[in-house]
Amino acid sequence: MSLVAEIALRKGELDLRAEVRAAEGVVVLLGPNAAGKTTFLRALAGLVPLEEGRIVLDDVVLDAPRDGVHVPTSRRPIGVVFQDYLLFPHLSALDNVAFGLRARGVGRREARAKAGQWLERVGVGSHAGARPAALSGGQAQRVALARALVTEPRLLLLDEPLAAMDAGARADLRRELSVQLASFQGICVMVTHDPIEALTLGDHLVVLEAGRVVQAGAPSEVASHPRSDYVARLVGLNLYRGAGSGHTVTVAGGERIAVAESIEPAGEVFAVIPPRAVALHRTRPEGSPRNVWAGRVAALEVAGERIRVHVESGLPIVAEVTPAAMAELRLGEGGSVYASVKAVEVEVYQA
Amino acid sequence: MTEDERPPAVEQSGDSEAGSGARGASERGSVPALPARRPRRAPRAVPPFGFVPLAVLAVAFLALPVVALVVRSPWGSLAADLSAPGVLTALRLSLICSLSAVALSLVLGVPLAWLLARVRFRGRNLVRAMVLLPMVLPPVVGGVALLLAFGRHGLVGRWLDAAFGLTLPFTLAGVIVAETFVAMPFLVITVEAGMRAMDRRYEDAAATLGAGRWMTFRRVTLPLIAPAVGAGAALSWARALGEFGATITFAGNMPGSTQTMPLAVYLALQSNPEAAFALSLVMLAISLTVLVALRGRWFPSR
Repeated sequence: MSLVAEIALRKGELDLRAEVRAAEGVVVLLGPNAAGKTTFLRALAGLVPLEEGRIVLDDVVLDAPRDGVHVPTSRRPIGVVFQDYLLFPHLSALDNVAFGLRARGVGRREARAKAGQWLERVGVGSHAGARPAALSGGQAQRVALARALVTEPRLLLLDEPLAAMDAGARADLRRELSVQLASFQGICVMVTHDPIEALTLGDHLVVLEAGRVVQAGAPSEVASHPRSDYVARLVGLNLYRGAGSGHTVTVAGGERIAVAESIEPAGEVFAVIPPRAVALHRTRPEGSPRNVWAGRVAALEVAGERIRVHVESGLPIVAEVTPAAMAELRLGEGGSVYASVKAVEVEVYQA
Repeated sequence: MTEDERPPAVEQSGDSEAGSGARGASERGSVPALPARRPRRAPRAVPPFGFVPLAVLAVAFLALPVVALVVRSPWGSLAADLSAPGVLTALRLSLICSLSAVALSLVLGVPLAWLLARVRFRGRNLVRAMVLLPMVLPPVVGGVALLLAFGRHGLVGRWLDAAFGLTLPFTLAGVIVAETFVAMPFLVITVEAGMRAMDRRYEDAAATLGAGRWMTFRRVTLPLIAPAVGAGAALSWARALGEFGATITFAGNMPGSTQTMPLAVYLALQSNPEAAFALSLVMLAISLTVLVALRGRWFPSR
C-alpha cells in the first residue's frame, strides 16, 4: 500500500508544486485558504489534470503526463467526501450510498443491502429512506462518508470533512471519523485547516502554503517545532526566525533573544516561545529573566480560562495570563507593558 | 445545501405564507400564533406619471380578445361542434404531429443542449445562433425554406426521393418536420439553461464513485435537469401545436392528412364559424394548461 504524488500544475492564480509520499494511514494536508489543498486533492482524484509529475497508487500509475497516462476519475479506486458532501438530492440516503456499487455493476438488491449495513455502521441507519435535504449536517456527513467507503477504495480523499459543522456536532463527528479511519484499510488524504483535526486524526502532516510544502512530519513534531507563521499561529506558539550563534538569536530588525543552550552550529534557526512562558509587567522588571521587551498591548483574546495578550514591540509576542492577573495589572488595549521570558523557556532548532 | 426550487419568501409573496401560518396556529388552539414571516412593509415604488393608465390599457388590449373568445363561444353546442367530422380529425392529427415533434425535439435537442452547455467548441456561438433562428424567422419563411431543403427538388429532398422514395412536403411526416423546425429551438434553449444552472460538481461526485459518462448522464444529470427538460417539452409542444405558417406552406392543408387544428380553424372560419370557435377554445385551454405548468420556471415568482 503506497501513494506517491508529485503534483505540478497551474490553476488560475495558483502555482502548485507539491510532493506527498505515504505508505499507510492518514495524511493531513494543512494550510491557509487558497494554499492549493483542495486542488491537490482534486488532482489525486483525477478531476484536475497534471502538467508535470506523477501519481502512483499501490504501484499503479494513475497519472503521468510525460508518458501520456491519465486514468479517468471513474476508473480510479478512490472514495471522495467533498466539502459540501454533494449527496445526490434526488436520491434517498440509501440510494446515494448504493450508487457506487451500482456503478460497479452490483445488482440493486445487493447494493442496497450493503448500503444499509454501512449506514448502520456510521450511525444513520434509521435515516436510510430520507432525502439529503431532510438530513442534518452531521447526518449528511455520515452518509457521505458511507457513500465513499462502501466501494472499499484504496485511497480515501476527505476535503475539510468537518468544516461545515458547529462545534458540538464537530466533536461527535471527529470521533466517528477517527473510528472509521482506524478500520480503513487504504491510505487517506485529508484536507483541513482545523488544528485539532490535524493533530488528532493525522499520522503524517503536510503543511501547504501558496502551493508549496513548507513543512512535513509527524503531527507532534510539526506542532512543537513549527517552521512557518501559519503553523505557529495554528498551534498558538510564538515563532521567530533569525541568526543564531552562541546564546543569542538575532531576529530581522535587530531584536535579540537570549537562549539557555548554546547554539551549535551557528546559523539560521527558529526560536519558539510558548505564550504561557511570557510574563507581563507594568514596569521594567528586575530579576533573572534575560529577555525583556517593552511594548503596548495590541489586542486581547479570550482563550478558555486564559487571556491571550498580543503585545506589539520590537519583537511582537503573545502572552497568556489569567484574568485575575489582567485585572491586577489593569492592562487594557493600548496600555504600555513589559514582556519577559526566561532564556530557559526558549526552544531553538535549525531552520 | 442544494438548489431550492421554492422562490425565496420576499416582501410580496410573503403574504400568503403569513396568512396560512397564522391560520394554522389558531386552528391548533391555545398556542398563540406567531406572525409567520411577517413581511416588512417594503416602500412602494411610485410609478411615473401616466404609467398606470397605459398599463391598464395594455392589460385590456391583451386580455380582451381572450375574454371575448371565452364569452362569445358557443358553450351550449360545444360538444356537437367538436364532433363535427373534420374537427375531431384535425384534433387527432394535431395531437399526433405535435407530440411526435416534441419527441423528435427531445431526441435531437437534448444532446445538442448538452454540447452547447458543456463543450467549448469552435463556432459554438454560431451554432447557437442557428438554433435560435427558427424562433425569430417568420413561420411562412420557415415553410419556404423547408421546401427548398426537403422538397421534391430540394437540397436534401431530391436525394431522399431518389434513394428512399420519400417525400416530405404535403405529408404527415412533413407536418412533423415543420413543427419540429419551429419547436426544437425552444427545447434546446430551455434545456441548455437548465444544464448551465446545474451544479456540475454532482457529476464530479458521480465520477469519483465510478460512474461512467452514460451512467452519470442517466442517473445524475437527467434527474437534476428534469424540470428544465419538462419545461422545454411543454414549451415546444405548445409551439408545435400552434404552428400555422410553416405547416401550411410545407405540408399544405389537406383534411385528414395535414390539416392540423390551426389550419382547420382558419378554414372553418369561413364555412362553419362555430366549429372554429370551439376549436379555438380547445387550443386556448391547452395554452392555459401549458402556462400553468410553466408557472414556476418561466415566470419566477419574485
